[in-house]
Amino acid sequence: MSENPVERLLDSRLVMVTGKGGTGKTTYAAALAVLGAVRGRRSVVVELDNQRPSLTAVFHKEPRFQPAPVRLNLDLANLAWEGALHAYIESVVPSRRVTNLILNNPVVGRFLDFTPGSREMVILSAVGALVEKYDLVVVDMPASGHAFSLLDITRSALGLFRSGPVRTRATELKSLIGDSRTQVVLVALPEEMVVNETLETIARMRSFQMLHHQPTVFLNRATLPSLTEVERELLRRLVAAEDLLPLEREFVLAGRWEDGLEQATATAQRVLAEQLGVSPLLVPPSVPGGVPRDTVEAVAVHLGRSVGATRREIAWT
Amino acid sequence: MDVNLDLDRWLAATRLVVCVGSGGVGKTTTSAALGLYAAITGRKVMVLTIDPARRLANSLGLKQFGNEEHQVDLARIPEAKGELWAMMLDSRSTFDALIARVAPSAEARDRILDNHVYRHMADTFAGSQDYMATEKLHDVVNGGRYDLVILDTPPVKNALDFLESPGRLVNFLDERVLRWFLEPAGRGIGGALLAGTTAIVYRLLGYIFGAEFLDDLATFFRDFQGLYKGFVERHDRVVSLFRAETTSFVTVCAPTEPSIDVALFFQEELRTRKLPRGGVVVNQVHLCDGRSHDARAVLGERVAAIAADVPEPIRASVLARLGMAHRRLAALASAESALIVRLRAGAAGGGFFQTVERQEADVHDLPALAKVGRRLFRPAEPI
Repeated sequence: MSENPVERLLDSRLVMVTGKGGTGKTTYAAALAVLGAVRGRRSVVVELDNQRPSLTAVFHKEPRFQPAPVRLNLDLANLAWEGALHAYIESVVPSRRVTNLILNNPVVGRFLDFTPGSREMVILSAVGALVEKYDLVVVDMPASGHAFSLLDITRSALGLFRSGPVRTRATELKSLIGDSRTQVVLVALPEEMVVNETLETIARMRSFQMLHHQPTVFLNRATLPSLTEVERELLRRLVAAEDLLPLEREFVLAGRWEDGLEQATATAQRVLAEQLGVSPLLVPPSVPGGVPRDTVEAVAVHLGRSVGATRREIAWT
Repeated sequence: MDVNLDLDRWLAATRLVVCVGSGGVGKTTTSAALGLYAAITGRKVMVLTIDPARRLANSLGLKQFGNEEHQVDLARIPEAKGELWAMMLDSRSTFDALIARVAPSAEARDRILDNHVYRHMADTFAGSQDYMATEKLHDVVNGGRYDLVILDTPPVKNALDFLESPGRLVNFLDERVLRWFLEPAGRGIGGALLAGTTAIVYRLLGYIFGAEFLDDLATFFRDFQGLYKGFVERHDRVVSLFRAETTSFVTVCAPTEPSIDVALFFQEELRTRKLPRGGVVVNQVHLCDGRSHDARAVLGERVAAIAADVPEPIRASVLARLGMAHRRLAALASAESALIVRLRAGAAGGGFFQTVERQEADVHDLPALAKVGRRLFRPAEPI
């Protein structure tokens, strides 16, 4: 297997991208899927039962249950509950007539909707079905706590359902999650809370045997150190100066702001590396005010460098 | 609503604040800062939170006390006239406690807590935490021990899911579903006509989920039957609590495109659900209105004066970096202010609108929280 972490992700079958809310999960899921497509693998990027799919803004197309092409080698989907349920019942029940009988029964609808874990099982099954059809499936997972519950559902299902097709399916899904060609990606930010949640999520996933590999951690919006110690000392003197004019203060505060970002990045990088044994992959912030597509493109270009994908290949036409 | 022109008056008229918004926008900090501010002004406040940052949790004493109600030591805030209490929500133990409360007898309670299906169901419902937030809330508000309760909700971006989740549980326990399972021959619903279909469907469910599961479920429903009414009543009370005149929803966000989108969506959701909108707080705002980024022109002489001992190339390099930092900060501030203008227009009529600039250090102790609170309560403008 490749030593290059980005290449390793692009060579897998299933990549699940999670992280604390607001870290940029959707951006990384989209960027990785675009890179997979650029490398010639039949790829699909999916959201899970999202009522307001975030990928719409990236691909300028509303994702539906049936994957639809958005560019060469890349499809887009949103595994919404109704579609996933239909597909699921069809896959475990032989006849279409019987499927309809089940789906049209009002009590069954409620039962399936609210039986613990059925929603999660059905949606994970839809992911499993895509893995059969595509070379690379990239999933924009829910935020880390919910992503854990979603993956943990196979364990609950195995405890809850002692026989039958659901149990068989749960066993299959459990082995898919733990497969050597399945990878977990966590997107973090250089902030204390985010770093802690990232580490806690990994520890929990590890203790429940959800990880076949070391997960890949991207440290998003990382500001690389630019000041030397002598320069930083000069900045400290400026900060300490008491009689700064308002305009002078604005420049000094800007310098302090950027220095703060650099130090936060260094701290986050150190803590993650110490706890995980590997350094996170640092990705610089994109231009403020950029539209989602530009942000995805910038991240894809950054990640693509290590696998020889050029900006021209990545850019949308 | 002119009461919102003045945040102090808004707070005085409010008994329950529900902070909503996506993750990572400072919702917990805002909840805690609001709570501390109110406690300083003399009220007895409870902040219910989900997953605070470690150091913020420490300063609120949440690490030791976890999911017990406990009083925050305000010794470092001598001007505080009231009390601040805090509690972290732990879903599993809340769920067990809820069962204990609505169960008709100790035997019934134990039977359910030991039930195979319940144990897995509690994990699943508990996993989402959304439901438990409302469940505990009901308790704390109706306990009458506090005159202001602040609920820091779980980060959700799809909908006000936590409002629906009591309904989700109630629906699961719907009497029709119960009866259907307890009388699988189909005598329960629809009479004899449906009996045939029901029996087939039941058999099919047995085929899909396994016959043992349906048996487990029937046992579970039998034990749960007596609890249904209790759940429905509590759900109804929580819903009316959310709609009460003294309840106020505050949408918290950060000035980023996705966060603003979610905030606008929440405003719309609150409006269509006729839930009381208190206002909008935009956190983590960067300020920088400089037009020129020439650090040498602004700071050249100053640097020469305070760093005569530093070689000129280093001084030049620091000035160059300050210029770049200023350019970047100004670009960020201007992008943010465009987003804030959009949010402000979209949130018109939804109560107060307040921005809080990014704090230089992490807000993790009480004095820092008090500072954010004062910042929040500076005179706000109506939307």
